[in-house]
Amino acid sequence: MFLSTIVLGFINSIILALVALGFNLTFGISGVANFAYGGLYVFAGLTAWIFINIVKLPYIVSILLSIAATSLFGALIYRFILQRVRGIELSEVIATFGIGLAVLELFRYLGFYGFEYTLPVMFEGSINLFVVTVSIQRVMIVIIGIALAGGIWFFTHHTKIGLAFRGIAQDEYTALTLGIDSDFIATLSVAFGSTIAAISAVAIFPLGTISIEQGYVVLINALAVSIVGGLGSTGGLIIAAFIIGYLQTFTSAYIDTQWVMFVPPLIILAVLALKPSGLFGKQKELEERV
Amino acid sequence: MHNSPLLRVNNITKRFGGITAVNEITFEIKKGELLGVIGPNGSGKTTLANLITGFVKPTSGTITFHGKDIHSLPPHKRVLLGIARTFQMVKPFYQLAAYKNLIIPLCSQRVKDMEGGKYGERDDIALDLLEEVGFERDSRVAYKPASILPQGYLKRLELAKAIALFPDLIILDELFSGLSLAEVASIIPIIEKLRVQGKAIIMIEHRLKELFRIADRIIVLNFGEKIAEGNADEVMESKAVKNAYLGAETE
Repeated sequence: MFLSTIVLGFINSIILALVALGFNLTFGISGVANFAYGGLYVFAGLTAWIFINIVKLPYIVSILLSIAATSLFGALIYRFILQRVRGIELSEVIATFGIGLAVLELFRYLGFYGFEYTLPVMFEGSINLFVVTVSIQRVMIVIIGIALAGGIWFFTHHTKIGLAFRGIAQDEYTALTLGIDSDFIATLSVAFGSTIAAISAVAIFPLGTISIEQGYVVLINALAVSIVGGLGSTGGLIIAAFIIGYLQTFTSAYIDTQWVMFVPPLIILAVLALKPSGLFGKQKELEERV
Repeated sequence: MHNSPLLRVNNITKRFGGITAVNEITFEIKKGELLGVIGPNGSGKTTLANLITGFVKPTSGTITFHGKDIHSLPPHKRVLLGIARTFQMVKPFYQLAAYKNLIIPLCSQRVKDMEGGKYGERDDIALDLLEEVGFERDSRVAYKPASILPQGYLKRLELAKAIALFPDLIILDELFSGLSLAEVASIIPIIEKLRVQGKAIIMIEHRLKELFRIADRIIVLNFGEKIAEGNADEVMESKAVKNAYLGAETE
């Protein structure tokens, strides 16, 4: 039991890290807290479902189209809405939250709920890991999660546009002075965050059904991981994902499954009360206020 | 053409609500010229720098650079045309190594257009530039993150970031502040070399003695207005300048 909890906790933690990566990437670069993240996640899942089941496109084409559409959606959100309220944080939050709500509730209004809304797995089958049988889809999620985190690290540390991303993240004023178009980079940051939301969606939804509620759950999980890890810190995010992931898995195994949903909000409250900049956050001004 | 001004600021005004930070200022600067901008605190010097670099938009007036009206362009587009600046409070990318701070400007479209796109991949060019502004080549300081560098190096890095854009006009906003006399003395030859290369330089300074040694011309601001213009002797003889710096004489 204990060993299987360890294995399942590991997978759950990677899933959490995966969904939080996109939210965190966008915030880390452009300072935009994209509360439409859950909406984008469900948008990716349902557009993939529509491409597969209504348009009747092949699986891989549908997945790629849905990821592209979600990224474009993210870019358009920045260009047409966020750019106008840039720097006014409350407006950014209200705008993105409103878009997320609109997307999710529009899908609900159109009737996209029920057990028939599922995505096929990438690979069938399962393997034995130590004492527990794990579906290959879950193993794929772990591989995708690790590859994406590694890819983002490589991108931001070893490519020119990645360097520009880090420049904007550190000081938008200086970046502008050095000829970087900060709105363009911020558009890319929201688009890339949306790409990650979409990749997580098409990887994770096959584990269950596509439900509107998952949009809200994913947003809360992404927020919990980012707040605990410290907004914008990728290393902190991974550690936070493991803390929350294992807490959830142990809660499910040793207390009761119904308490799992309480873990993210409780841990958000605890961290905000004790260390508001997160475990590894760089927003020191928050520390000084406490 | 040779004598036509590189930058012409024409009747520029900036109001913030009811406060007029810059009021109908007109001046110009040619290639290879060093223009000093002085004035008491709050006289509008930094607002003027922000107007030229595009960080604030003018209430009225025009700015032409290379003969082109730029007053509505965003900052990054002005950089691509050849305007670089330093900040009074240095603004490096603190988490990046000193030389990596220069990779970003060296990757900019301007440098690509001018030099063919290879500069951004060459750390040696960044290291050469740092050496030019006084980072000792074999000291490894260039590889340290900006966050741990002392003020003297940060000011040099600020200058190097501007130079790395291969600009035609550099605005130096209180570059000398917080530096020792020896440090200022070591930076002056770097600035003079830039001028010899034909770059136009606008220096906003409080260190008047050092500025007067190198400036071709000075303009003096007070309460957002230009109260004097000329060489160092002329402006210091001006009654308006004396009043601004020492207080109005009583009758």
